[in-house]
Amino acid sequence: MSAAVSPLAVALESIATCFEGIIPASICSCSPDGTPNLTYLSIVHRVDSRHVGLSHQFFNKTKENILQNPFVQVVVVSPSNLRQYRLDLRFERTESQGPVFDRVKTRLDAVASQTGMSHVFRLHGVDIFKVLDCRPTTAETGGEGLHRVDYLPQIEEFTARLAGCSGLESVINLSLDALSALFGYDHSFLMVPDEDGKRLFTLASRGFGESGIGSEAWIGEGILGIAAERREVVRITNFSRDVLYSKAVRSTLEHRGEDSLLEREIALPGLPQVKSQLVAPLVAHERLLGILCLQSETAGRFLSDDERVVRIIASQMAASMALLERVESSKPQEIPRPPPTVRSTATATIKHYKADDSIFIDDAYLIKGIAGRIFWKLLQSYADSGRVDFTNKEIRLDASLQLPDIKDNLEARLILLRRRLQERCDFISMNPVGRGQLRLDVQRQLRLEERL
Amino acid sequence: MHRAARTCDSLNVSMAGAHSVSIDDELKTFLEGPVSVLVGTRDSRLVPEITRAWGARVAEDRQRVSLCVPLATSRKTLDNLESNGEIAVTFSLPTNCRTFQLKGRHATAAEPDGSDLAAVERHRDAFAAINEPLGHPRQYVERFWRAEIETSAVLVKILFAPEQVFDQTPGPGAGRSL
Repeated sequence: MSAAVSPLAVALESIATCFEGIIPASICSCSPDGTPNLTYLSIVHRVDSRHVGLSHQFFNKTKENILQNPFVQVVVVSPSNLRQYRLDLRFERTESQGPVFDRVKTRLDAVASQTGMSHVFRLHGVDIFKVLDCRPTTAETGGEGLHRVDYLPQIEEFTARLAGCSGLESVINLSLDALSALFGYDHSFLMVPDEDGKRLFTLASRGFGESGIGSEAWIGEGILGIAAERREVVRITNFSRDVLYSKAVRSTLEHRGEDSLLEREIALPGLPQVKSQLVAPLVAHERLLGILCLQSETAGRFLSDDERVVRIIASQMAASMALLERVESSKPQEIPRPPPTVRSTATATIKHYKADDSIFIDDAYLIKGIAGRIFWKLLQSYADSGRVDFTNKEIRLDASLQLPDIKDNLEARLILLRRRLQERCDFISMNPVGRGQLRLDVQRQLRLEERL
Repeated sequence: MHRAARTCDSLNVSMAGAHSVSIDDELKTFLEGPVSVLVGTRDSRLVPEITRAWGARVAEDRQRVSLCVPLATSRKTLDNLESNGEIAVTFSLPTNCRTFQLKGRHATAAEPDGSDLAAVERHRDAFAAINEPLGHPRQYVERFWRAEIETSAVLVKILFAPEQVFDQTPGPGAGRSL
């Protein structure tokens, strides 16, 4: 058909932000008896240069009409200048599997899960339409006139910086710093899976009032959890302002009645007026190593080009993280000499609750779980013999810690513990001294109390 | 605006005459409020066309609705109405997505008078105002009609008697006939 090769008046690629779901679109279908039906659409998905996809969640009048009359018109709106474009479409088919379906489903499920609406929203299929024409509603022609940012120099700089990292913590810190400095992604956090693959915990963050380090989320629930479980990028361009991130997560957990299993003392990092969010899985060797989450208070902050950039960054980070795990565990270490310890005469009480391995320093919560158990072990050793130097290897092999399969995760737990100490305690620190070794620095007398 | 949105739950649209519906005070307030208004029509081959409309007014008899469309964006719409008169109009409130769709069969076009044009000005003003707290400055929202005016400032009035009203608010219950 000759129409298939003639270019559209406006190329879909030139109005890419119209397909981000930032401003609602509309669709008009027509029944066989000639009655038009007009309704709003939250998003029109751009499938390729001549096709768009619409999600089909409920059987409605539009669906009924297109099965009998395939011609519809869609109007999309550019968020950059509010120009409107008419797309004449012809319904081709419904896809209920495949890459387009999976992409739409992940996004839908993530938002539904986040808002506690999983029982309501279920993707039945993606209706694929051929684009017959695309033109502006007013006389002027052309696309959105957007300038595309060339990210290649920044990506080059990022990979160069990453190559200089020598440990997990430096990979994470450098990456989050670079996301802000090179790309302007000023609000980011990184979570890693726990030992049994059920939860994520926050290891580092940038640009939030509270760091949220140590906070947790279920894998498989909410936007963070769905991105982790499916190892898919989830990009939200227009959070409604009343669906606040942390609150929504909390209510989801209340439904489950398993709130006590999650870290409750530490809230997830989150902007109070978050409008845009991009979550990318960190995957290497087909293993989930974590997720990277970006937030913004500007609607439409993360567009498809940002998604591409973050996919590259995330795969670079994951590769570095996986590589450094191996380097660390294969290199023999020498323990450096401990420095002379200066202690004040002040005394602090550290309590350990065996039930959940939670640690309280002078009655202030520090951490629980595996990191709490490790910390308690180090403190006991310190109290018994004054020992301050420890190796990751001995912690990993210490049977009394009864650690689950922690070998891939010990470094992450130690980073978490170190960061929580930095934030919550000014007289105990746990500093890396060479690769795979750490040193306790205690500036007060300690009284250890074990509780049930 | 919350008041209007809430009271729409109890809309009472009664049948008046054989085909047209009677629009009560609450629906009238909603239709004439700061809503986003889109008009759907179709040509003789049943190919649909969408255009944006302004300044909806409910007539004294509560059976007819009028609105204005810019000629610059609506030539196909007006051609369609002239050939078959079939029309669907959706009204949606940006703050809560409350949406109603009105359908009629015999829409006609006319020249707007002074009160129609005043309703367009009022509507655009209210639409810009309600979008401001959503983070859209007035100058930004004004682009919706600036491009239309630059091409052609001419407005055409559309008149129709709704025969069906649907509650189109998003969710599983969308499309419920009132």
